[in-house]
Amino acid sequence: MRRKSKWLALLLVLGLVLAACGDGGAETTTTAGEEPTTTAGGGEEPTTTAGEEPMEIATDVGVDLEAGTITIGLLSDLSGPFAPLVSVINTGHEIYWADVNANGGINDLQVNLEVRDTGYVVDTHVQLYEELKSQVVAFGHSTGSPQTVAINPSLQADGILAIPLTWYSGWSDPAINANLVPHGTPYCIEAMNLIEYLTLQAPDATTIAIASSPGDYGEDSNAGAVLAAEALGLEVVYDGTARINPADEATLAEVASGIAGSGAELVWVTTSPTAFGSVYGQTLAAGFQALWSGAGPTWNPALVGPDSPIKDALARDFYVSAYYAPWAADSVGNQFVRDLVAEYAPDAPPLDYYAEGVIEAKIMHQALLAAYDAGDMTQAGVLAAAKSLESVTFDGLAPDETYVGEPNDRVQRAVFISRPDPEGLAGGTSTGVSQVESNYTSPLAAGFEFNETCFQLG
Amino acid sequence: MTHGLVVLAQATVENNEFAQTLVDGVSFGAIYALLAMGFVIIFKATSVINFAHGALTGLGAFLVAAFATVLDFPGRYVTFLPEWAQWTLNVLTALVAAALIGVILERVFLRPMVGEALFAAAIVTLGLDIVVRTITNDWIGTNPRPLGAPWGLEVVDLGWVRIAWSEIVQIIVTVVLLAGIALFFRSRTGVAMRATAFDQETARAQGINVGRIFSVAWAIGALLAGVAGIFFSVFPRRATGVDPATAFIAFRAFPAVIIGGLDSIPGAVVGGFAIGIAEAAANSYLGFEFLGSGFPGIVGYLLMLVVLLIRPYGLFGTAEIRRV
Amino acid sequence: MRGRPLLHTSYEADQALLNTTAKRVMLGVFFLIVISIPFQIIPGLKFLGEDDWLRLLSTTAVFAIGALGLNILTGLAGQVSLGHSFFMGIGAYTAVWLGGAVGGPLIGLGLPIWVWLPAAGIVAALIGVAVGPTAVRVRGLYLAIVTLGLVFIGEYFFRNWNSLTGGSQVGRDFPRLQVRLWKEEVPIFDFTTPANWFGVEVSGVAKTFLLLAVFALVFTLLAKNLQRTRVGRAFMAIRDRDIAAEIMGVNEFAHKLLAFGISSFYAGIAGALLASFVTRVIPERWDLFLSVQFIAIILIGGAGTVTGAVLGSAFVVLLPRIVQNFTLWLQSVATEGDGILSSIANVFVATTPEDFGLVNTFAGVGPGLSVAQLNLVLYGLLIIGFLIFEPLGLYGIWLRIRNYWKGWPFTY
Repeated sequence: MRRKSKWLALLLVLGLVLAACGDGGAETTTTAGEEPTTTAGGGEEPTTTAGEEPMEIATDVGVDLEAGTITIGLLSDLSGPFAPLVSVINTGHEIYWADVNANGGINDLQVNLEVRDTGYVVDTHVQLYEELKSQVVAFGHSTGSPQTVAINPSLQADGILAIPLTWYSGWSDPAINANLVPHGTPYCIEAMNLIEYLTLQAPDATTIAIASSPGDYGEDSNAGAVLAAEALGLEVVYDGTARINPADEATLAEVASGIAGSGAELVWVTTSPTAFGSVYGQTLAAGFQALWSGAGPTWNPALVGPDSPIKDALARDFYVSAYYAPWAADSVGNQFVRDLVAEYAPDAPPLDYYAEGVIEAKIMHQALLAAYDAGDMTQAGVLAAAKSLESVTFDGLAPDETYVGEPNDRVQRAVFISRPDPEGLAGGTSTGVSQVESNYTSPLAAGFEFNETCFQLG
Repeated sequence: MTHGLVVLAQATVENNEFAQTLVDGVSFGAIYALLAMGFVIIFKATSVINFAHGALTGLGAFLVAAFATVLDFPGRYVTFLPEWAQWTLNVLTALVAAALIGVILERVFLRPMVGEALFAAAIVTLGLDIVVRTITNDWIGTNPRPLGAPWGLEVVDLGWVRIAWSEIVQIIVTVVLLAGIALFFRSRTGVAMRATAFDQETARAQGINVGRIFSVAWAIGALLAGVAGIFFSVFPRRATGVDPATAFIAFRAFPAVIIGGLDSIPGAVVGGFAIGIAEAAANSYLGFEFLGSGFPGIVGYLLMLVVLLIRPYGLFGTAEIRRV
Repeated sequence: MRGRPLLHTSYEADQALLNTTAKRVMLGVFFLIVISIPFQIIPGLKFLGEDDWLRLLSTTAVFAIGALGLNILTGLAGQVSLGHSFFMGIGAYTAVWLGGAVGGPLIGLGLPIWVWLPAAGIVAALIGVAVGPTAVRVRGLYLAIVTLGLVFIGEYFFRNWNSLTGGSQVGRDFPRLQVRLWKEEVPIFDFTTPANWFGVEVSGVAKTFLLLAVFALVFTLLAKNLQRTRVGRAFMAIRDRDIAAEIMGVNEFAHKLLAFGISSFYAGIAGALLASFVTRVIPERWDLFLSVQFIAIILIGGAGTVTGAVLGSAFVVLLPRIVQNFTLWLQSVATEGDGILSSIANVFVATTPEDFGLVNTFAGVGPGLSVAQLNLVLYGLLIIGFLIFEPLGLYGIWLRIRNYWKGWPFTY
């Protein structure tokens, strides 16, 4: 016994020594090939390299002109409720930048990614932001709204850019988004689009049930659904706002029995895919049937996998919403994504979410190019460049973005609607969805006056 | 008493909601009863509170998903049998694997703790829970894994009550397992286990291989946890299958164990059904606004606190004799 | 007498907190090192002065305060409690009720820190005493499960009390570490903003760290002192043989309540400081995993010892970061280096989705464990390992080292 604990003590000491070695002032960024870049704790070091570049580029953190690297940070959820989506989104980032780097990078600067797993926990997110802010020039994405709201004051104080990986309508509100560049249609406008579309599929429907998870994600979408119900004359017969807690089984049973007992003809639900699957399954068991839809992240193709008991019911009842075109869609942008995957991740399965990573990376790419052209690749410079982008196009993959102008004019309103496709998934011909509407904006969403966020976070 | 039962039966048939609640409660209670029973068997035999029971539940369910859908072992060798028979065979194999892993875990991690403080052993199981759960989550991956149950969405509609086929199977399997456990405790090993639970030292002196008894207890515990995990991961509870959240169902079964008494197996079964029915009742009848969301989830713990105030050792537990 | 540190010639010397010269010197040196960390004076430890390490060390200080509380309850008084995170939550929400922003949709009275911080501890202590009678009625492992129930019931309340906690998954901002006289706009002293001390640039995180380190030191001394008081001795008597203690005149009921009260006080203060330091916390933060972390801290550090609580906190809080650095280092060895070390590293680390390895270091998901999962697995294995091999924890390891050198070269 004594011998064993001596080894234990030695191991501990060794671990501490190695940690000191691994972190003694020098931060090594990912992957092989380049020398480790040394970064001081957030200090300003403008490096002008006369003779190497035709013009002088100002840099501070995250860009090393001598080593020829740019570092982008990703605050991802790789172990929490949205891990299935975010892990694929990260692959999308990887393949996009691999392609950019192979074709000369950003004017010979290679782009590297620093990924951190926040687990969708707010204080981990804050902690990891603090860790990365002195290593990266900008954040390629920040997962989760409470998480992004938590780092927003720091982003503003530190003058760093972040792309939020959430579709909360607050990101289009100038009172909040000084350091954020949103993309895609916000949750509340998405809800308006889909609910109006559902009424077109079931013109006799007069009742709707609404349920969601608490927080910006669920309640922003909820706010849109309530607005839509009011405008379309639908009676809300069950209001499960903020009632679904994916971690608490009891709430799922509660919401399911509430929906089933209400007799609604349409259902709008916003939560994680497994919580949705459980609620949907329990309403089926109670003999309930209606048309269902939900915000984009509620869907996961695994719901109609070959062994899933609810796949046929979902194919009958559910309408999938997305902010970008699905994998198999026919557009230049989609072909680009398919080519990237074929070349840089050939063993990866076909999934819709790579597109999201490509979209985020593309916005960052444009911002970096603009910053380079302006001669200022400091953190503040990249931020300013991003906020002045007039047009970022995705060749049909997603609606074009612009970051100048009035919020009401430039907020996205279009969604991509699909039906679940279990046969296609089983046969390998689709990613589990078949598209029915591309770039669809319903009249209600088009006419909606967007002046401020739909749901105020506390 | 009979009059009361008659009134109950009448109320059941006449009042739909009451009947449905009862049926839901009994079927959910069966899951809790299985979990509680496995937990108490391990506790009685080894005197260790097994905080890793949740991890065993998730592991069992995952193994079934793996054997039934991905590996199709040994189903692929007996394709002459009907689908449901193949699936059952796969499930049994997976449960045997789960029991084996339970034995290995006991041998490696808990055998060295024999003779140490019970609190320390309980915390070892806490650490074990973290390790096993994390590795199981890694194997599950980011998407939930369906179990491929042959009864799918089938629901039996009797007019006054609806009951899914999976719930029917669940209740039948629970009853069979209860009978099996009762019979087991009459067998040689069962009697040996009862002796070990009563007094470890003396049992050893009588020539009982206490180490083997520990392994058997953990095997049974892992098996019961696995079965509970299966029924928790199928339609209608979680149509998507087993995912990282599956393991946490075991924490809702702890009150069942305490209500019944930590060292009483019949108590565990009673406690399990009691919690199941209490939760179903809270779901149907206590849907008040001011209670917010998730109240049925803590009903079990509240009930436990009430019971403990009246009987500190549970309804059927044996009071500890405290000596100076 | 020199050379005979344990020879005490008076009662005071025997009962002193730091009864040997070595202890006094070590505490002094340790304190000086801790104070100097933000100024990056000591070579080899300079990296600790960077903001992200300072944040980790600040978290360590807060966790140490909480662990000291649990140590008093479980290690000193022998009451197994899994409910520590519940009392931390109570402390945090008391703090935000009293100190939170006024006027918004959420409850807040805008009072200064010298009101909300002590109140956090006191309210948590009162609730601890209120919970006491139920807890005293049950014994041993039943108590563990009752306190487990406390966590779940507490989580239910926190999640549903939206006007106080901000609501599930959303949370709210917590009052900052700023000293005011009453409710004025500009604080007298602000621990969160950078400052210039005698020409030296000090960041906000550094100031916070120094404040929390001082708090931790004060609470450590208080906890150590408790052990030599009458109450402390009564706790130890209850832990060892409660019936015998009762016979001897120790009021078991009153002392168990007191133990719950004192440990909840520590927990409340720790919860308020943690929430203030992290600035935003969701109600799910105060869950079972947090309670288990504290159990792990006192067990890994050494149950029943004050040094153990502090060492354990440092260990558990810094472990994820150390594992992360270690994995990154392994990754760089696997990809850049060559030779045996590189091949060994390659077995452990997977650098691309096709590579085989125990741990993934690329951005997506693959066959191996992610770094977060590796952290959890190591954490669990460490809990198990310490309990099996070294029940006295890090403190026990320290004792062995100390005793080895005490008797050197006569180590047999």
